[in-house]
Amino acid sequence: MPRYKIADIVFETNHIYAYTPALCKNYLYDGDAPSEFSVEITRDDIAAERGKEGAEGFPDAYLESLALFRKLCEYALKEREGIIFHSSALAVDGKAYLFTAPSGTGKSTHSRLWREMLGDKVVMINDDKPIVRFVDGDFYVYGTPWNGKHRLDTNCRVKIAAICEIKRGEKNSIEKITPREMLPVVLNQTLRPGEVAEMDKYLSIVDRLLKSVGLYRLHCNISREAAELSYGVMSKGDNNEN
Amino acid sequence: MKIKDGFILREVADSYLVVAVGEAVKQFNGVINLNETGAFLWKLLEKGCDEKGLKDALLAEYDVDEATAAADIKAFVEKLKEADLII
Repeated sequence: MPRYKIADIVFETNHIYAYTPALCKNYLYDGDAPSEFSVEITRDDIAAERGKEGAEGFPDAYLESLALFRKLCEYALKEREGIIFHSSALAVDGKAYLFTAPSGTGKSTHSRLWREMLGDKVVMINDDKPIVRFVDGDFYVYGTPWNGKHRLDTNCRVKIAAICEIKRGEKNSIEKITPREMLPVVLNQTLRPGEVAEMDKYLSIVDRLLKSVGLYRLHCNISREAAELSYGVMSKGDNNEN
Repeated sequence: MKIKDGFILREVADSYLVVAVGEAVKQFNGVINLNETGAFLWKLLEKGCDEKGLKDALLAEYDVDEATAAADIKAFVEKLKEADLII
């Protein structure tokens, strides 16, 4: 079975369709580390994905890859202090920023504005579904192949400097917010587990994350000025003081 | 009165949250925010407690008059009943 390394987790998995190996090709692993887990995706797993909200109209091949992602995230939460965080994550000068909001608000659009402004200085870590992990006392964001409709991701990890909630506005403004203010946003944009042991792990990660990175709320339109504002404030921010 | 199985209270990022786990997720998939008093009452209701017990505990813990305590408890219990979180 092919082996992959995603979010610094080495695992092996089968595939029924060719979509998953094509999607994950930049994350193939041929190193010496043993696989942490092995997972077989079955027709039942694909059927279970089809039953989830929003799965209508997607082909089985794509749902197979989602089933794998779900199992990877379950493992990451159980064993590696990892959560999936619906956001557009990018890095500049070795510092990662996560733009988060409900789908359709403009996360990816705002990331694009940063790329237009900063060019090659911007590393797109993942435009849709990065994994966030707590490793040796710090929070890192990892690229994953589940990268959104613009297909933007990099197989890397970068320490998180800040999380920014995106809201649409006619004018641009940015403010620091508290962990308590950011909490509902994070709860809505991360995958909550269903069992109590995992729920406690998940809530503990969320609690520490919110207390250890910079937290911002950006009201923005689609303009270079919006990117200048958010980059200017967040790249200077003393991001560890909430 | 007692909180139904599968609903748990946790303190996260300076907030009190109630979430469902296990079978209860099928009934409720959201997150409920409680204030400090709500969390105090919830913890009593996890063990099982009647309205008088809640009121006595609230009066002992907080600087509040009896009528206000009774009204607050009634409103809180009503909300829990509406959300079907209590038996």
